[in-house]
Amino acid sequence: MIRLEGVKLKLASAAGEVNILRGLTLDVSRGETVGVAGPSGSGKSTMMMIIAGLERPSAGRVEVAGEDLTAMSEDDLARFRRRHIGIVFQAFHLIPTMTALENVAVPLEFARRGDAFERAAASLAAVGLQHRLSHYPGQLSGGEQQRVALARAFAVEPGLLLADEPTGNLDGETGRQVIDLMFDLAARQSSTLILITHDPALAARCRRLVRLVDGRILDA
Amino acid sequence: MPEARLPLTLRLAGRELRGGLRGFRLFLFCLALGAALIAGIGSLADAVREGINRDAKALLGGDIELRLLYRPADPAALQAFAAAGRVSDLRTLRAMAKSPVTGERRLVELKAVDLAYPLFGTMDLSPAEPLHEALAMRGGHWGAVADRELLDRLGISLGQIVRVGSQDYEIRAAIAHEPDRGADAFILGPRLMVADESLAGTGLIQPGSLIYQVYRIAYAPGFDAKAWLANLKQRFPDAGWRIRGLDDAGMGIKRFVDRTALFLTMVGLSALLIGGVGVGNAVRAYLGSKTATVAILKCLGAPARSIFALYLTLIMLLAACGILIGLAVGAAVPFIAAPLLAQGFGLDLALGLYPGALLEAAVFGLLVALAFSLPALTRTRDLPPGQLFRDMVQPSKLRRRWRDILWFALVLAALIALTILSADDRLLAFWFVLAAFATIIVFRLLAFAIVALARGLARYRRGLTRRALADLAGPGAPTRSVVLSLGLGLTVLVAIASIQGNLRRELADTMPGAAPSFFFIDIQPDQLADFSSLVRGQPGFHELESVPMLRGRIVRLKDVAVEQLPPPAEGRWVLEGDRGLTWAAATPPGTRLVEGSWWPADYKGPPLISLDSEVAKDLGLKLGDHLTVNLLGREITGTIANLRDIDWTRLSINFVMVFSPGVLEAAPQTEIATVRIDPAGEVALERAVTDRFANISAIRVKEALASVARILDGLSAAVASMAGVALVAGIAVLAGAVLADRRRRIYDAVVLKVLGATRGNLLAGLVLEYGFMGLATSLIALLLGSAAAYGFVHWVMESPFGFLPGVALATAGIGSALAILIGLAGTWRALGQKAAPLLRND
Repeated sequence: MIRLEGVKLKLASAAGEVNILRGLTLDVSRGETVGVAGPSGSGKSTMMMIIAGLERPSAGRVEVAGEDLTAMSEDDLARFRRRHIGIVFQAFHLIPTMTALENVAVPLEFARRGDAFERAAASLAAVGLQHRLSHYPGQLSGGEQQRVALARAFAVEPGLLLADEPTGNLDGETGRQVIDLMFDLAARQSSTLILITHDPALAARCRRLVRLVDGRILDA
Repeated sequence: MPEARLPLTLRLAGRELRGGLRGFRLFLFCLALGAALIAGIGSLADAVREGINRDAKALLGGDIELRLLYRPADPAALQAFAAAGRVSDLRTLRAMAKSPVTGERRLVELKAVDLAYPLFGTMDLSPAEPLHEALAMRGGHWGAVADRELLDRLGISLGQIVRVGSQDYEIRAAIAHEPDRGADAFILGPRLMVADESLAGTGLIQPGSLIYQVYRIAYAPGFDAKAWLANLKQRFPDAGWRIRGLDDAGMGIKRFVDRTALFLTMVGLSALLIGGVGVGNAVRAYLGSKTATVAILKCLGAPARSIFALYLTLIMLLAACGILIGLAVGAAVPFIAAPLLAQGFGLDLALGLYPGALLEAAVFGLLVALAFSLPALTRTRDLPPGQLFRDMVQPSKLRRRWRDILWFALVLAALIALTILSADDRLLAFWFVLAAFATIIVFRLLAFAIVALARGLARYRRGLTRRALADLAGPGAPTRSVVLSLGLGLTVLVAIASIQGNLRRELADTMPGAAPSFFFIDIQPDQLADFSSLVRGQPGFHELESVPMLRGRIVRLKDVAVEQLPPPAEGRWVLEGDRGLTWAAATPPGTRLVEGSWWPADYKGPPLISLDSEVAKDLGLKLGDHLTVNLLGREITGTIANLRDIDWTRLSINFVMVFSPGVLEAAPQTEIATVRIDPAGEVALERAVTDRFANISAIRVKEALASVARILDGLSAAVASMAGVALVAGIAVLAGAVLADRRRRIYDAVVLKVLGATRGNLLAGLVLEYGFMGLATSLIALLLGSAAAYGFVHWVMESPFGFLPGVALATAGIGSALAILIGLAGTWRALGQKAAPLLRND
């Protein structure tokens, strides 16, 4: 599902050039669940961005779902994400001016699905939020917001789900419920799951653990 | 779900709008203001033009008007007129009206009308009474109706007597509405209207007196006017009448409206341009707050194009709202202005909606909104979605794409094309565009220079000055928007104030100083000796100058009939009406010959002409060319012998044409005289002359200038209020820019307070920062505004330009004060902000 070959990333900062990734090589099979751990600044989120086509590597090759991302234009990458990728963020990143239903429907609308709203409603029902369709993010609890984010990520039935510390902003119990839901949905849709986390217990639920330190994979 | 049927972009835009219009108030205000100005000016000008077209017959007083000077038409011509339809015959002249009771007197525009008057429109009197009953002989007196101004001036009321020449009239009513008032272009006094039959009794009808005989015809239904007119011209080739048709009705007003509308539209466009800066600021701030949403949408698979389309749609929807508000206000302008214009100028507007003017304003508004939003929109489109994950590393700098630059250039080109093509005077519009561009570039450079200077100086200063300088140069500082918006507003203000100041100074200082105290007209040649001795005997007398005067119309240039020549671009006025002319043997005093030489004092050859050099240039005439004048139906052809320079601003006796002796002496003529006298002796002189000679009219130069100044003042008020609106737009933009920066200011103030700054320190810092910015901007605005005013006064008005120190000081003061006041108003809260809550929140 994912193939990274010698991926490097250098970025300019006020203090000069920073080496974020120093040559990552990684293979992830379809349906696999992979936990990504490592200290702050080790490059976990950047690796995820490169896999999602949100960042271009300075060197190396990125292949996802059989397609070479390094050769694609910005808009091709957007369309690629629409088809193959769901993302869950630590800070939820729902659009505050849209209802829960509209937030979930957005990627389906971009994909010009005629049944965008029906599918979005079904997806929200799958995360137990069928009674919250017309609520705005500001009217939902943290756990509910993250469930909306999950519903949004799974609504397009992605082959690959990327989750960046999805429980980081939630209390223990709510976090556990969200994680259960996420693993359940991934299993039901046979999605590949890449989960960035600081929590060893959470990492242990993945079939495989990748550890990053200072922009390098320590063990995979 | 009905929403789902809309296109995706509109659906998303609708959802974005749920966030409210926060941050868009200034955006809406700027566009509404600009659109309202342009739509208002356009609608008003259209309503005036349309009103003139609608009322053309009433304004002209007939379907056609034939005007003769000095004499009535001959019986054969009168027969021809009568064959065309209903004819009205009237006479107009200038005369002195006196009150035998109060002894006050005033030059009036006398109009003697027949029973057919008015052929079109209605004459309204106050109290209401049929015109011809009011003018009829009753109780031993002829009746008269007059402008209220005349009654006030003479200190009389209705029912009292006014004397004109040797005829007494009883004032029966005041004129409330005179349908053909607009037909007389140059009015020196209030209107007095009497019955034509009564005129003989005044004794004013003397050879050579300036009396216009006017015939107006209302064509019979189905009458072939074209053929009749062609036949008339053929039958009476030398009649010397001036013919005006419906197309000429209100021509003077139309030209005035075109000119004024153009000028006001330029001011309106300036306001829109200044508003554009506010639009740009608002869009940039709004899109800046949408970074997260844009990144999320991109993460969810939105292509850059969709993001661009979404926010473009949103901004254009809001722009349309702002513009619609402006159009509604603009469309209401004719309705609001109608009573004022009816009262002030006797203009009846054709009230209604003028889609052309509204459409023009809407397109201007949309193009300005688009031009000023595009840079921020393309930046948002290119925002990297990775920003959601990372903010500790600076995002890579976005590079402008060629395609974006091309689009921006296209929008700009459309804006320029519309400005130039929609103007009546395209050359002036072109110069406006050029000046606007130059101004924007100069203020951009100034902002850049201020930032660079502040950054450089900050290194060498300490304490308060250093901080004020650093604030000017700091990241996110509103220096650029403040300099541009305040600068553009002030430039417009300086330009308008300088133009007005110069024109007023020209009127107030130059002319009365050099001008005589009085013009006396209609002096019969046999009265000249008595008149002269009377005037010379008055206390305070300085100088008397008199020359014979006739009026004639130029009918041929270089032996070609004027009608067959293309109308000249300049100097058309010389050919359009009767021109005063005189004859002289010796060179008149003060003559400045620029070409050729004066004829010998005893010259007795064929007619020679001395011509105004400016007129010669406009009409393409040179020494040796022939010029033919129709004088009382007789054509006189002369050869141009020399060209003179005439300074019209001195208001001394000047004639476009001076003939050599031996040609005009025998023609009926009057003398015109100028008198210079101490101001204290003016009233006595006027009384002495007009008491002694009932037919001589006195024009007091001071009064004539005052009435010109009054018209100019009225115009000035309109123009100044437009300039004021441009400045309001500038202030709004300035305030918006300062407010947008408030959060940073409050934070800075709190940190500085923690470090020991007092409120006094903070205040002094703000005054220094905004004062410096305001002063620098004012100085540049002064320079640019004066340059624009110079261009207008020198090239368009052809008047001398003087730099006005008062305007300069006021601009610098207003500019700096505005910047400081608005700067303080925007950050006042920062001074009183308690540190603890803000730090706790952090």
